[in-house]
Amino acid sequence: MLDLVVELASSGGEGCSYVDVRWVERTLERLTVSGGRVERVLSEQDEGIGVRVAARSGGFGFAATRDTSRAGGLAALRRATAIASSQPSAALRPLAPVVPGRGAWAGRCEIDPFAESIEARLELLLRADALLGGDPRIVRTQAESIAVRTRKAFASSEGAAFTQELTECGGGIEAHAADGDDVQIRSYPSAHGGSVAAAGYEHLLGLDLVGNARRVAEEAVALLLAPECPAGRTTLVLGDEQVALQVHESIGHALELDRIQLGEASYAGTSWVSPGDIGHLRYGSDDLRISADATLAGGLGSFGWDDEGVAGQRTMLIDSGILRAALSDRTSAASLGLTSSGGCARADGFSRQPIVRMTNVSIEPGRSGTLAELIGGVENGIYMETNRSWSIDDRRLHFQFATEVGREIRGGELGRLVKNASYAGLTPEFWGSLDGVCSASDWRVWGLLNCGKGEPGQVAHVSHGAAPARFRNVQVGVARR
Amino acid sequence: MTELELADRTLGFCAGAAQVNVVRERSLASRFARSVPTQATAVDDTTVEVLCLVDGHTGTASTNRVDDDALREVATRARRIAAASARTGRGEHPDLPRPGPPAGESAGPDPGAGHDRRTAELDPAEAGAALAGAFDVAGARATEAFGIWTSGEVSTAIVSTAGMRAAESVTDAHMKVIVRDATGRSGYAATTSVRGAEIDGAEIAGRAVSGLSPDEPAELASGEYDVVLGHEAVGTLLDFLGWLGFNGLAHAERRGALCDRIGRQVAAAVINLTDSPGGGDGLPRSFDAEAVGKARVVLIEDGVARSVVHDTRSAAVAGGGARSTGHALTAGGDPDGPAPTNLVLAGGRADSVEALAQPIRRGVFVTRLWYVNPVDPRHALLTGVTRDGTFLIEDGRITRPVRDVRFTDSVLRILAATDDLTRAGRLVSDAEHYGRRFAHGVVCPALRASGFRVTGSTT
Repeated sequence: MLDLVVELASSGGEGCSYVDVRWVERTLERLTVSGGRVERVLSEQDEGIGVRVAARSGGFGFAATRDTSRAGGLAALRRATAIASSQPSAALRPLAPVVPGRGAWAGRCEIDPFAESIEARLELLLRADALLGGDPRIVRTQAESIAVRTRKAFASSEGAAFTQELTECGGGIEAHAADGDDVQIRSYPSAHGGSVAAAGYEHLLGLDLVGNARRVAEEAVALLLAPECPAGRTTLVLGDEQVALQVHESIGHALELDRIQLGEASYAGTSWVSPGDIGHLRYGSDDLRISADATLAGGLGSFGWDDEGVAGQRTMLIDSGILRAALSDRTSAASLGLTSSGGCARADGFSRQPIVRMTNVSIEPGRSGTLAELIGGVENGIYMETNRSWSIDDRRLHFQFATEVGREIRGGELGRLVKNASYAGLTPEFWGSLDGVCSASDWRVWGLLNCGKGEPGQVAHVSHGAAPARFRNVQVGVARR
Repeated sequence: MTELELADRTLGFCAGAAQVNVVRERSLASRFARSVPTQATAVDDTTVEVLCLVDGHTGTASTNRVDDDALREVATRARRIAAASARTGRGEHPDLPRPGPPAGESAGPDPGAGHDRRTAELDPAEAGAALAGAFDVAGARATEAFGIWTSGEVSTAIVSTAGMRAAESVTDAHMKVIVRDATGRSGYAATTSVRGAEIDGAEIAGRAVSGLSPDEPAELASGEYDVVLGHEAVGTLLDFLGWLGFNGLAHAERRGALCDRIGRQVAAAVINLTDSPGGGDGLPRSFDAEAVGKARVVLIEDGVARSVVHDTRSAAVAGGGARSTGHALTAGGDPDGPAPTNLVLAGGRADSVEALAQPIRRGVFVTRLWYVNPVDPRHALLTGVTRDGTFLIEDGRITRPVRDVRFTDSVLRILAATDDLTRAGRLVSDAEHYGRRFAHGVVCPALRASGFRVTGSTT
């Protein structure tokens, strides 16, 4: 397929100053079991070509087709050119320079998940699901796994020509417990689909869903009996998965340069950060160090080249609390006067055009040791883990999160369980209150499969390296009935 | 080959009990920011999905290739994974639905009611004209326009070995305009329709501009307020209630917000909520993802919860003679359950939003909500923020802007505290098209309620 996309990109659309062509083939299998039975096995395959052009009249046009023949590709090229030309005229938006990528890249995959039989994969899930049930207060159990393989070929009129292949695999379990009008949920290893990595079946096996199932069910039931999370301001320690989501929502999205430049104001929103803040804004305390790394092993945001052909790279976004860089694509980078893109242009399949996306935006490991050592520094506070609910405003400034589990901290040790745990804050104030991040021993990479942005909507898979972290004087217990 | 012919051809490759769903999307989208076009997208894609049923287990496979080899392969793949599931023991899927009358109280929409031939032509010049009109109006008020224009045609055909056979093409068009002034204050307006001709960029931008105030926004302290929720805000809340309250699977599993409350007063007597797939102001649809015919379903009547909605699978889980109401979201029934996608909230007595504000001494008017998510699904407790126009109501008048606020409140509590609504409703849609295009929206009025819980400021 590389030959075809090279030919199409080289043909140059009439009246166009730039053309790029992507072929994408995606295979997905999702297995779900619930209540001791197979609930659904879903297998999806699609492929197609997306053609993006920059018209000399100033507009960009993008056309996607499932017709992967030469004729289909040429028709898409004509369509992209036509819709670019139909837009109101505007000043030509330049693209930041790029060294055209050439070659091939593949992500890590030790055990091909698609080569494992469906029966074997279901057996694993059914064993875990069986251990979730038993208590009459458990009203729903679920175990699921997912495997995705994406193959791409890309070429541009500037000479880029490469192929890429990425395998993603993972899963998780959850139990819902109910008593009267109280419903509690407990998940493992994380909420919203479990843990997924750029890896093969070995990642799912390493999660030990079966070994954790009984504990998950017991905690779901225990939450029914737990007292409500207290309300007030206190010291908050977050588990690494919740830190990952906190980074995602209040740092990653806020540092997307298209949002900062108001390009996403109509949907995803803008940012509390201004273009002029880069280089000197204090985003958080000295303990806050954030990287964007498209070369991170196992990261869902890892690649050889982004969907504009910019090589994957590692960039420090925030260092010692100071904002150093933003996430950019070629258009937003050029608009800011940067000499190169940050390599963050990503598209959801063949039928969407690349937009600024996170790669793997991570909080760097700190020096606070283990979670127990971090909690040891808290006289009174609350520990929260596993996301249950999330919301943040369109400038990524005011957020409110709830977690499945909370535990009181007394005298440097974890105490009793509390339910309906929640906290809220303002982004710079919250990250300014950060006074401890666990060390590399407690730092893990968490994958998210549900990051929505763009119109038509695009869902991105991204990862975040995170470790448990401690925040002082945070408002908790904010989401009560 | 039509979508129905393609579905028939695919079914011919299937062994045993099977259902084939074919969906073709043709669409255009033009985005803009700072009164400049930014992205223009054209999509032409077809999904062929096969559901096979073996011993109570389903296997679902899809492809977007339409040659015979691909159709044969997808049919084989679906059968193979259903058989693999069946080797784990007997499944609980109740079987494919069979032809029969809809379970609702009246017939579905007229054939073709959801389609407009001119819209289906997908002329990109219409996008260009709409954008230019919006830019002109925004510029005349020293503001910049942000938003999207989009239109599409989606053709669906479903056939099954159980005798189900349905085909329908629908169109939708949507434009929203957010205008921002130099200080970042914003106003919002949108139109959604079956007919693209009803999308007028200049008119929409004019409404968005009218929602802008030159005054400096005030701070609103946390607390409980009398509130007027605009059409868009009401639509967002009802969309969530559709999932949390009327999902027949969650209800049967005792996770739903209306568990033990069917037949009881759950909202004020002025609240009458239906799912009306044939509603003239909405986006009509004739059948669901199992080809079960859609009909009007009464959900809340005079404040009393009347029913939840079902697909074939959730109806079987619920038992007690429950039938599919035509609300399957995927072939075989979605693991997350069914949901209403044509909600209609009946209007009240107020002539306008301004009239709703008149009895309020001090309260807040909310144009629209953003990033809403459930906090406690069992109680329909949501949190989110206001966006693009939040105003103080003082002595019966909408007076000055306030900064956006966070709310944490239950939809059911708000509906129970509602005392009037505008007479006229309108179609509210976010036109969020993740995956295959599926246009849906809520037809609703604005409403007035007491005790709206503001739990934080966004500054």
